[in-house]
Amino acid sequence: MHNRNPRIPRNWRSVNGVHWVKDEMSERLTEHLARDLDGGFSELVRIHGSAVRTYLYRVTGSAAEADDLGQETFLRAYKALRDYTPGRRRELRPRAWLLSIATNVWRNDIRSKVRRPVSAACVEDYSDRWADTGPGPEEWASRIAEREMLGAALGKLPERSRTAVVMRHVLGMSYAEVAEVQGCPVGTVKAQVSRGLLALRELLGPEAAHLREVRT
Amino acid sequence: MSGGVNGQGTGEPALARALAELADTGPTPFELKVLRYVGIPEDRYDTYVRVEAPAGGLYVAQSGPVVTGAVLAAVVGTAREFEERHLAATGRSAVPGTATAPGVRPAVRTGRARQLRIDLAGVGLTDAESAVLDAVRSIPYGQLRPTSWVVREAGLQGAAVPDAEPPDAEPPGGALQDGVPRGRTAQMAAALARNPIQLLIPCHRVTDDEGVPHDAAYGGAVGAALREAEGISPERVRALVRTHTVFLGSDTTHIYCHPLCAHARRITPRHQVPFRSARDARRAGYRPCRSCRPLAA
Repeated sequence: MHNRNPRIPRNWRSVNGVHWVKDEMSERLTEHLARDLDGGFSELVRIHGSAVRTYLYRVTGSAAEADDLGQETFLRAYKALRDYTPGRRRELRPRAWLLSIATNVWRNDIRSKVRRPVSAACVEDYSDRWADTGPGPEEWASRIAEREMLGAALGKLPERSRTAVVMRHVLGMSYAEVAEVQGCPVGTVKAQVSRGLLALRELLGPEAAHLREVRT
Repeated sequence: MSGGVNGQGTGEPALARALAELADTGPTPFELKVLRYVGIPEDRYDTYVRVEAPAGGLYVAQSGPVVTGAVLAAVVGTAREFEERHLAATGRSAVPGTATAPGVRPAVRTGRARQLRIDLAGVGLTDAESAVLDAVRSIPYGQLRPTSWVVREAGLQGAAVPDAEPPDAEPPGGALQDGVPRGRTAQMAAALARNPIQLLIPCHRVTDDEGVPHDAAYGGAVGAALREAEGISPERVRALVRTHTVFLGSDTTHIYCHPLCAHARRITPRHQVPFRSARDARRAGYRPCRSCRPLAA
């Protein structure tokens, strides 16, 4: 069983990997959305903004594109919410819903541009900007190099594997939640993720031996 | 390369861990960009900035030019915790902003925040609590004031209530016992502990009537650091408490002050006359200072 990233707030948890149980934070958010669209939407952006942006950043490999597509994603979400009844807003599972929209926005963007994703060579990385304590400069440099390498390798995965790996391992979502975004069975997601990790190990090559040696 | 993701001893797959580190988990300027792009009215959310303050960072939230909340990083730890706390206190979402409200940085730097525009409407304070926090705002930089002074300046000194009355039985803004406000003390401590705009409403300058700092909102260590930055050393505070120097008079002018009043600081040691109470000072023929107002002067 993989550890989920403990730093990302969990809005959803699965029981036996299948059934959904809505937790308190998520319920507060959807209730807020049902009651007051603009206030609730601000809260939606506050809570899920970084997940949407991270997702788009890691699937596109470009921070600038992640910003643009992320803004488009939330604009679409807002327009949709405006037409939803309060009851429907209350039923939403916000993160999975937002990531489905983000995935569509991204695919449409690829289709319209018909080009390969930009490499992750020169990206603006927001993470750790709020960190009070960080590692020393040497470890820092090696971590940055590693992040870049990993980010670039992600960009070479096939679309489906890439989105599945990013949601499962970067965002720390459950297989069931990923399956909801992908619109496919949980088993399929597990296969996509495991194929994706295998391919990543191949792509990382010998320099990243310490990442390759350990089995999942 | 020996990065920080070897996963030794944890049994956790190194690749999975390295992937998890790719997440931007903290708040970013992206949220504000989105809210502006979508066109959410600016009065529907707050923005916040972390500014450097004497006891570490201070998260300051604002709505336009008005400060709506401030919490020391020593209290909330992370930006995310600050956001949650702000939402719980005000019902408003706060996203990272790019600029502070006018006057915030100078106020934090100089410790003089009386002119700063603040808004406590969203916090749901009682009238009495608002009055207390307003009075606390008027305590000058580098000085301390006891609870009874704050209660009096807040205009909460009314008809006497019996000593035995429990604090929570008192109606907000209601009566207060003259002199030692026992029920009020608890109520005041509660108001100070809830201080929604830490540092900028200087509750670190409030002591009990013996001179011991309250520090209800963030604990003694942080309070001591905040006071130290204003030139109030912990030793000085302890010495005043130990010698029961509630007020300090000058035998040349026959005026008595709060001991850290700018006028009291100018009294040379051989002319200093300590008093335990205003009554003692009055009996000795002293009058209260008109600027620090030990009694309504």
